[in-house]
Amino acid sequence: MRVGIEVGGTFTDLVAVERGEVRVVKVPSTPRSPDIGAFNALEVAGIAPGAVTDLVHGSTVATNAILERRGAEIAFIATAGFRDILFMQRHDRRQIYDLHYRKPVPPVRRRDCFEVVERIGSGGEVLLALDEETVRRDLIPALRAGGYGAVAICLLSAYAEPVHEKRLRAIIADAIPGVRIACSHEVAPEFREFERASTTALSAYVQPVIDGYLDRFEAALGKAGFSGHFSVMQSNGGRIPAVAMRSNAISALLSGPAAGVVGAIRQAGRSERGNLITFDMGGTSTDVALVRDGLPSLAPETEVDGLPIRTPVLDINTVGAGGGSLVWIDDGGMLRVGPRSAGADPGPACYGRGGTQPTVTDAHVVRGTIRPDAFLGGGMKLDANAAHKAFESIAGRLGMNVREAAAAAIRLAVANIVRAIQLVSTERGRDPRDYALLPFGGAGPLLAAEIAEELGIREILVPPNPGVISALGLLSADYAMAQGVTRRMPLDNDAPGALLAEHGRFREAAGRAFASMGLEGALEHTLEVDMRFVGQAFEIPVAVDPGHLPSLTAADLGDRFAEAHQRVYLHGGEPGRTVELVGLRFGVRHPLEALPEVRERASNLSRPEAAEVTTGGRVVAARLADAASLLEGEAVIGPALVEGYSSTTWVPPGWRIARDGAGNMLMRKEG
Amino acid sequence: MLDPVEYAILSQSLIAAAREMGVKLIRSAYSTILREARDGSAALLDAQGNTVAQAELIPMQLGSIGRIFQPCAAMFPPETLEEGDFLVINDPYSGGQHLQDVFFFHPIFFEGQVIGFAASVAHHLDIGGGSPGLNASAQDLYAEGIIIPPMKVNMQRDWHGGGFQRLLRANVRVPQQTMGDFDAQIAANNVGALRVQELAKRYGVAKVTETMAALQDYSETRMRAAIREVPDGTYKGEAFLDDDGLGSGPLPVRATVTVRGDSIEVDFAGTAPQVRTNVNAPFASVISSAVSCLKGALTSPDIPFNDGSLRPITVKAPKGSLLNPNHPAPVRARMISVSRAWNAVMAAVAQAAPEKAIAQGYDTTTAFCLSYLGEKGWSVYLEVYGGGYGAGFGNDGCDAVDNPLSNCSNTPVEAMDQDFSFFRVTDYSLRMDSCGAGQWRGGAGFQRSYEILTDNAQVAHYSDRFEGHAAGLFGGGPGASGSCEILRDGEVIRLRSKDAFQLRRGDVVTIRLGGGGGYGDPALRPPEAMRRDAEDGIVSAERAAAWAAG
Repeated sequence: MRVGIEVGGTFTDLVAVERGEVRVVKVPSTPRSPDIGAFNALEVAGIAPGAVTDLVHGSTVATNAILERRGAEIAFIATAGFRDILFMQRHDRRQIYDLHYRKPVPPVRRRDCFEVVERIGSGGEVLLALDEETVRRDLIPALRAGGYGAVAICLLSAYAEPVHEKRLRAIIADAIPGVRIACSHEVAPEFREFERASTTALSAYVQPVIDGYLDRFEAALGKAGFSGHFSVMQSNGGRIPAVAMRSNAISALLSGPAAGVVGAIRQAGRSERGNLITFDMGGTSTDVALVRDGLPSLAPETEVDGLPIRTPVLDINTVGAGGGSLVWIDDGGMLRVGPRSAGADPGPACYGRGGTQPTVTDAHVVRGTIRPDAFLGGGMKLDANAAHKAFESIAGRLGMNVREAAAAAIRLAVANIVRAIQLVSTERGRDPRDYALLPFGGAGPLLAAEIAEELGIREILVPPNPGVISALGLLSADYAMAQGVTRRMPLDNDAPGALLAEHGRFREAAGRAFASMGLEGALEHTLEVDMRFVGQAFEIPVAVDPGHLPSLTAADLGDRFAEAHQRVYLHGGEPGRTVELVGLRFGVRHPLEALPEVRERASNLSRPEAAEVTTGGRVVAARLADAASLLEGEAVIGPALVEGYSSTTWVPPGWRIARDGAGNMLMRKEG
Repeated sequence: MLDPVEYAILSQSLIAAAREMGVKLIRSAYSTILREARDGSAALLDAQGNTVAQAELIPMQLGSIGRIFQPCAAMFPPETLEEGDFLVINDPYSGGQHLQDVFFFHPIFFEGQVIGFAASVAHHLDIGGGSPGLNASAQDLYAEGIIIPPMKVNMQRDWHGGGFQRLLRANVRVPQQTMGDFDAQIAANNVGALRVQELAKRYGVAKVTETMAALQDYSETRMRAAIREVPDGTYKGEAFLDDDGLGSGPLPVRATVTVRGDSIEVDFAGTAPQVRTNVNAPFASVISSAVSCLKGALTSPDIPFNDGSLRPITVKAPKGSLLNPNHPAPVRARMISVSRAWNAVMAAVAQAAPEKAIAQGYDTTTAFCLSYLGEKGWSVYLEVYGGGYGAGFGNDGCDAVDNPLSNCSNTPVEAMDQDFSFFRVTDYSLRMDSCGAGQWRGGAGFQRSYEILTDNAQVAHYSDRFEGHAAGLFGGGPGASGSCEILRDGEVIRLRSKDAFQLRRGDVVTIRLGGGGGYGDPALRPPEAMRRDAEDGIVSAERAAAWAAG
């Protein structure tokens, strides 16, 4: 049996697949010890760990260790003169008019930052040899005295030549056996010392936490008789065996949203859709991502708690617009939705837990798209009166009735998500109309049609069980590794050969790494080349098929770069500008066999024929349908609500929805 | 009539479009000053040239972008513009700031009408003039670079290989970078125009135009609401520049801030007369300074800055003073004077609203330039430094960060190592005991050292507070001063705060940036905060003991 367990902030989701049968379970998370929630999920699903052959796990342990500052006490080592890199940061302020601005706080104290005498130039040449004597005399005793849980090393230009970092690591490992050491040339071998140092320090900071968590998890699994493969999700959208995470904790950050995108891609692939805009709307936020040809794009950098992390992550844009987002009027009289949220407690007013401020979920209740009797398959009754009451004051101030105010809130929530989608599409020169919208998360399918209308998208794919797509994504994730390296060179006739050689080296290393993880068989490679005009600082990734590398010419590369520059910046640079290659982004995947089809979890709710919904300034009678009993080929014409266990799909007038042959529901605008 | 929801959606879309302009400006730029330091800004203006939304990058450039547009519009009314036209200005005496900040305004056409303007400004690495990057000894504006009065330029005719572009190219020392940065400005403006056109298509021109007006009213309303909370009265503040760079001694900047109901008047009467060196500040920059200070101190940071925020505020400065000089006084280092203007306004605010004010930070823009003429032409490195930030009620000042009026990032050492072979950075660290004492301490200053790897290089810089200090507030202590020194053959050569110097191979140039002033009595500082700073080496044990003793 194959099992995916995704630990989220509120719920822990489990998806289990055995001989074509799929089980779906949602249990409350246990934030103090997330592993308890995971084992609870197994228990509720009635799964004996001994019967599991393949277990894939995703959790927020790494991210939370940073947000809650529960990582290890670490030491940071830099080139002499630069121990303050982590405190200097980039010298800018994120809010320019905030007079009480505070910088993001690094995961290490200044007193724990040390220096070594050495210097390497940008071409990798040793300008000043590592002074090993002072390392042994001064640094080693200080590290011993500090009793650190891990050590982070980031020396200048180590991305170009790691010889000093390697030597330093060897000396420390020799003197202090067993101490965890993160080196910048391995964690993030790219130029710009602050971002590389920040990534390395955070990696060292979370590594002991991840190790402890996985130790506990594996021990409990072993005790329960588990003897299958245990792997964990990474932020790049692939998984790795848990044992490999022991040397690369940074890749566990933000793996939850990545799993959702992977699940969405798999599910859409069944309906033969590869160009997607995914949006995952949960309680407090919405994650959006753009997928081309079934492949998500990777961003080279992300941020947690204001600190940069230079590691390949699925390019996901998050906005503070979820079901729990508060609806309010600011002191300039403008109606706003989010980013503050009612959270899980008290939650939306309609939850009846004492919340009085209106939220997006309350707006759905007021306008009729969430029926109080049908929430979570009827498992949780909502208080419609409380939702109405919560909107009274806002309605009064806007001179509207309560239904109009709720409709206004919904339109604003839609607008917030539309802007988030524009950020990953139009801003990068991609037209959203060329993509299908794939909503998931509990609140996604309720807004999908209205978001599609705003963006001109004509096709929406609603997967079965939209509330547990992330757990499905774990199960369907390939084993994968991603790596960015700085390799600066002019775009000339030697460049294609250099690319081929560089990729050959990576291919070999990846092959060895996968073999050592016990993964045999063919690997799929991807390659992006970061290029720019000479003089620019920000690169544009240009995808190159590694299979075409032997016949690639400099002219091909130049044309592709010019096209990409034109797409993003609306010009291709003046003629005569020279182009350079700056970095390479390697990706490699060990493809997984296909998963059986996932079906909607059935609910036994009895429902009336129709319900009143406010839309487009009027009240209409929306047909009610059960998602699980909507069979292949059957269509429902809007206005309609298609209710499932974990989510409801709103089909506005002018739209129709039908179950396709792959188990998804396809919603299209008519006419 | 605009409904409240469409208004909310459209206004947020305009703000998002301005933000995207800023991102594209920086990301397609070529010079380190624009692409790494991010010394540039972008905004959307309405058809009359009032700022509607801006990318929040550099307060100094943004505060008065609408005012800078007006002289251009007066000469080239929007209705006379044709597709492909855009307006350019950098002349401080026609409404601009300093010559390095070149403003581009692109009309946004929709169905044949100009419905707004996309504006961008970038600090250009070199714009000609008497010395690369910055001319510390300029006696007048002509020595500071090429002067661009309000100009109408056509993309097809004058740019792509056309006369105006060739004229500019011929007058700058690093054309690859400067001309590339102009292209980045054009890219940013094109993106802004495209987004506004998309909105007009989706919602109709009338609604977009109405939103542009309503968004300004909105900022004005929130600004006025915040001003009403400040007690009426007349408050005075002052601050001092070290000198004019020629040994003049301290130069006062004085502000009289009058709060009446929901409006404020700031008058800089009593400020020193203009000087012969480049610290004079054109009036457009003085408006930015005063308004940025009041917005930061009195209002919530989430109020969008546009021309509506300027309406409740009137700014005056005597003609012929440091803050409103007569043509053709040099103005390159205007940031020094406008920072003191900011300090003077803040000192007045401190009397009116003590908990909203902050102590003085180092608040000195230090422009630091290394240049070298080699066989392949000029190599110019320019960096803009801040220092320690001023402490506020409940908040220690930020360490090593740019000043309130600026927001430049540092250039990564590894980027310098790649781009410049005539020097190498050898030290970049926080300065111990540079922060002002206080219940909340000021931000720590920092230093950077450059080892010079060739003969015939030169350093030029302007700074301030090499003599003076960032003052503390309500019992807080002052921050440390700055300095610039050259270590040559074991001897230390001290430079003045505004200076230039020929360098030799082996010289080590060290620039030290001062700290911010503290807020409140240092004896009230919690012992655990004292201990933390001492253990982290921000404050020495001796200084910590002195603070505790009060």
